[in-house]
Amino acid sequence: MALTLNNVRIRGIASCVPQSTISNLACAEDKRSERERLVRNIGIHTRRICYPWQYFSDLAKAAAEQLREALSWKREEIDALIVVTQSPDYLIPATAIILQNRLGLPQRTIAYDINLGCSGYPFGIYTLGCMLSSGGIKKALLLVGDKCASMSDPLFSDCGTATALEFDPSSSPIHFDMNSDGAGYRAIILPVGGHREPVQLHHLLPHADAEGEMHRDVDLILDGTAVLNFSIQRVPPAIRSLSEYSKTPLEKIDYFVMHQANRMINETIRKKLGLPPEKVPSTLQDFGNTSSASIPLTMTTRLRDVLQDKPATLLLSGFGIGLSWGSCILKSDSIVMPPLLEL
Amino acid sequence: MPDVAQFVENFVSAVDFQEQVTISAETPLADLPEWDSLAALGVIVMCDTEYGVSITGGDLKQCVVVGDIFTKVLAKKAA
Repeated sequence: MALTLNNVRIRGIASCVPQSTISNLACAEDKRSERERLVRNIGIHTRRICYPWQYFSDLAKAAAEQLREALSWKREEIDALIVVTQSPDYLIPATAIILQNRLGLPQRTIAYDINLGCSGYPFGIYTLGCMLSSGGIKKALLLVGDKCASMSDPLFSDCGTATALEFDPSSSPIHFDMNSDGAGYRAIILPVGGHREPVQLHHLLPHADAEGEMHRDVDLILDGTAVLNFSIQRVPPAIRSLSEYSKTPLEKIDYFVMHQANRMINETIRKKLGLPPEKVPSTLQDFGNTSSASIPLTMTTRLRDVLQDKPATLLLSGFGIGLSWGSCILKSDSIVMPPLLEL
Repeated sequence: MPDVAQFVENFVSAVDFQEQVTISAETPLADLPEWDSLAALGVIVMCDTEYGVSITGGDLKQCVVVGDIFTKVLAKKAA
């Protein structure tokens, strides 16, 4: 669905990653060549993983506090706090409400979670933007990210981000294209732990999957070929469609900040759209796939100097679990971006 | 008309073999040590970008030799 949001400005973005770093090339010597092939193809060298005592909400809280201070926003000025995550502190209650208290925000703050993964950033901007657009609320925070890294999986990496949105009638419109396809819900799924399949003892026992890898039913299942086909088939036409809807030719866009899935997916999308590499920044090598945080993390670490100082036309595009895919085109102007926080 | 020799060349490049291999359309996929989930992703990308055809994981599971993938590509192009 194509939509336009008015009167909303991105004022600032901050990102926080754990200090703890794992290298995808750390392996036994006899596995070296195989690992190098993997790293070459997925494009991910190092990833960040939360310490045992760290959770997504800790990263998001640190990013939010750093950003609030950088913007000199008072706690009592923040009217809404939306969290986009699939790694909440608890199944219930919502992490956003817990963070309202931990961040010292007033009790009149609107706070709730949105359960989206890799596509979540544009959806989060739209949802929170709609609240701001009418001017009823003036300042709000969007906290986005996940704790999804594990030692065994080479893709995922942990990150929490904060984005400050503000009511501003002088801001340029933000154009969106957002889509959902629940027929593909099994492509990426945590099948056990919800109400349909509560955790039982046998779910905790490892067993060999189709490729002989040991797997537990409480672990994430990712159908790589289905996700790849979804991404390279659906995302390029959706971006072209948004470009037409917003009357913004692709060549007029300064940067395409894409969800960082893996090198094969990202490069295929880039080539299908005919985009030059210098317009498509990447954080895959250093930070891997950080789920919904990958777009703001890439903005704060790869485009910080540009976006802080001058206006730019940006296309942001998230896609993945759901299946869900959403993009937006916006004109940014002097986004406040504190340096990357390592916790 | 796509050419099978060119397809085999594209296949070798897509799988990203660690050591040089000699492959023909008759080579069984099961004989290739690198024929894994990563190779499948590479081949799907190759079929999409070089031939404009969407090959699924299910399609690949039905293939026994390298040439079977080419047959699928031709069938999908003709459809």
